[in-house]
Amino acid sequence: MTILKRTTAAALAVALLSGTALSAQAKDYTVKVWAGGTNENSMYRVKAIEMAADFLQRQAALRGEELNITVENQTWSGWDDFKQAVTLANESGTAPNILVTGHEDIGPWAQAGVIRPIEDYVDFDSWPLNQIYENLIEVASYDGQIWGIPQDAESRVFFFAREGLSAIGYSEDQIEALPERIREGEYTLYNMIDDVKKMQDKGLVAKGQGFAPRVKNGPDYWQFYQSFGGEMVDPESGKLIFDKKALTGMYQFFVDAVAKGVVPKTYLGTEWDDWHRNVAAGKYGAWHGGTWHYAQWTKQFKLDDFFGKTVFSLIPAGNADGRANSITHPLVYLLSASGSDDEAAISAELIGIASEPRINALHAVASGHLAIGTEEAKVPFYANDRWSREATEELLPYANSIPNNADFGVYWTAMYKGLEASWTGASPVADAVKTAEAEVKAALGDGIIIR
Amino acid sequence: MTETATLTQGSRPDAQARPAGQATEVAQPTGAKRTRISPLGMMMLAPALIVVTLFLITPAVLTTVFSFTNMTSATGITGGAYVISPNLLRDLKAEGLDPEVLEALGGETVSVDQAGLEAARKAGTDPRFLEEIEDEFLGKSFADSRTFFGSLKKLPNRPRRIVDVKRTATFFSHSILNTRFETRDGAVSAIRSIAPAIGPETLERVLERSYTGWVWTTENFVQLLTKPNTWRIVLNTAFYVAVTLSFNVLVGLFVAIATFYMPRRTGSLFNALWLLPRITPVVLYAILWKWLTWDTGFLAVIAEQIGLPSFNYMKGSVGTAWMIVVMTNGYVGASLSMILFSGALRTIPVQQLWASEVDGASRWQQVRYIILPQMRWPILFVTCYATLSLLSSYEQIWLTTDGGPGNTTTVWALEAFKTALSNYTGNLQYGMGAAMALILVIIGLGLSVLYLRLFRFDELVEKPKIEF
Repeated sequence: MTILKRTTAAALAVALLSGTALSAQAKDYTVKVWAGGTNENSMYRVKAIEMAADFLQRQAALRGEELNITVENQTWSGWDDFKQAVTLANESGTAPNILVTGHEDIGPWAQAGVIRPIEDYVDFDSWPLNQIYENLIEVASYDGQIWGIPQDAESRVFFFAREGLSAIGYSEDQIEALPERIREGEYTLYNMIDDVKKMQDKGLVAKGQGFAPRVKNGPDYWQFYQSFGGEMVDPESGKLIFDKKALTGMYQFFVDAVAKGVVPKTYLGTEWDDWHRNVAAGKYGAWHGGTWHYAQWTKQFKLDDFFGKTVFSLIPAGNADGRANSITHPLVYLLSASGSDDEAAISAELIGIASEPRINALHAVASGHLAIGTEEAKVPFYANDRWSREATEELLPYANSIPNNADFGVYWTAMYKGLEASWTGASPVADAVKTAEAEVKAALGDGIIIR
Repeated sequence: MTETATLTQGSRPDAQARPAGQATEVAQPTGAKRTRISPLGMMMLAPALIVVTLFLITPAVLTTVFSFTNMTSATGITGGAYVISPNLLRDLKAEGLDPEVLEALGGETVSVDQAGLEAARKAGTDPRFLEEIEDEFLGKSFADSRTFFGSLKKLPNRPRRIVDVKRTATFFSHSILNTRFETRDGAVSAIRSIAPAIGPETLERVLERSYTGWVWTTENFVQLLTKPNTWRIVLNTAFYVAVTLSFNVLVGLFVAIATFYMPRRTGSLFNALWLLPRITPVVLYAILWKWLTWDTGFLAVIAEQIGLPSFNYMKGSVGTAWMIVVMTNGYVGASLSMILFSGALRTIPVQQLWASEVDGASRWQQVRYIILPQMRWPILFVTCYATLSLLSSYEQIWLTTDGGPGNTTTVWALEAFKTALSNYTGNLQYGMGAAMALILVIIGLGLSVLYLRLFRFDELVEKPKIEF
């Protein structure tokens, strides 16, 4: 072996070894995921990220890289504590990498620098993000940027007990036609009150259990505002709208329902589990909830023959000013501003993979949510699920969302306080509307249009 | 008297050995010495000082500072940045800002030039990728960065990660839209570079409006004074504190006196039972009240059986909701006052009671003329302590009625807590919550002074006129 050869061989060995060393250099990441409003049926919100980590590691291994991703997740069943935890963790610089929350948090969190725009980290023109419904991408956008990737979609639904409707004289055909009549605005919330009162009078439904709305605060109550002609945001100026007439109509409706005896004035604040149990036991005449409740009723609360026992529709219009409607409240995957840019890039890749139709369909079917993209709706596992399919077709095309506006929370809180005050009889409807108006005027000034 | 003097001297043996004159002489330097701070003393005090500063003074100071800001979860706590966003430009347009300035601020140009290539090279972008950009796009302009990104994606040597391609694209984009400038100077130079014609006044306005953080304001206090809801909550709080306080003191006093007259063992047993509300974890305690008072609860079922109104007493009517709020808090407070009163009762010389019985005094006369006059100090203490603690208490209300029905049982502390820290919609208003807390602190201080004067605290703590 000549000196030249030896030198060449040594150089080659060094090069090879260094190559080995490089490829063997493992990259370790710990990705933290926090999800609010998550129960055992919706655990795929975080499990999907774990599945994505496994997928990404396999891809890296095929490229000759060693990538180790540890996913640490934490879930909250409610929202108050989750949101408080996120804002405080952000201030202390310990926020997790991925947040799963309602899209309405994008406004305040973007302003406060809690999150970073996900559009800087992903390509919306490539698979699987290119098949996500455009309107859901809009919901995840705020102030000219796309901040999140839709994690799920849902609609809020109005349900009637078929047995109750039959007993008060509805024929099978009339029951089947009810959703269409509601959609057309022919059947209003007041017709519903009359019908459930009849069910109560016939003794089919106990007194005060004719109508069972959502038991606690939620986006659902904005649907009733819309039922009476309310709009939440002015599309031109982007400002919030406080519609006194619509709010009065909405508050008055619940006061009238109490006066008719179809819902107790002390109803708000009922325990969720009591409500679920009563729904599953067929104790209510009409009620409203979310598409995801289907999963809870059929799995946890053992409701059988759902389609034989209930008929579902949009939330009926309240009067001629309003329309039948539904609110979709998609949850979104957000990238927190905490952590390094590299961690954010890995987290964004994980979110992208977790949005694969087959993976997201696991969440949709398990939790009763709806597909986030065109291709997911074609995944046989999803398409064969009757509830997912029908809810997607019947409700989603008519659903709108609450606005992404940093000030919307103040308005929302005032709206709900007024609803509670009038519903319980603590203040007359006119006073409750005036108080809510004074609250939003004082807090938001010109940021809200009063009309 | 002689005995007392001996005892006093006995406690200072050196005083007896020293002549009187010397003692006076020594007293001078001792007095001077007192002003010297001993390092050991400071060391001993340090932990207490640190704890007081960290947990008492700092929160009070921070609350005061926060109350004069518009801090919310949207502004953040530690400060904001300057961001020119499409929404801001839309608002400024509606307010009549110069359209040329607006156009400049919202404009974006994407062009591939040598300066951009150089900047990308310095940032460590893959040279092969840069070479391709130079070959394909040098001198070309693009409508926006999204179009440019679309073109970059097609290059064979583009980085694998999307984020790296997007980073590279930023070197060729000239726009300040949606850029987060952490400092004012950074924002000023960026705005000037993109809109050189901007006047100082317009610049100031744009900067002010583009700031995402909190600013100093007295608006919280103005809002609190003008909102109709404020007065409702003030009345609720006054009612809640007055009624619950009376419950605490009267029930505590009654139980203490009743158990005082019982045989010692039986009395202790009752005392222990009355402690249960205080030692039960607060969440469990609230759940027990729910089981007792909800429409499916114990009381409602019994009431239904005997034909009384049966409903959710906790939320069903304003009257029953208040009764439950007062009782849940009242029993917790009464157990504390009972312990204090029981202790104080044991210090009353029992001979006085014996003597009164010999004189034929009834139980009520004993309570009225012997016990109550000697209980002034514990009653003052309990009244002061309970007032302040009730003013700031909300947890039982939060866990039971949650301030309802409507906001009829919402008290100031609960509203402050919800405003600042716990809100379903996630919009936490730290500034407003702090302003509410500050008002509570001021009212608490005012009431403390009032109580001290009312109960003639100075007389209670002055030196005894009679020596025992």
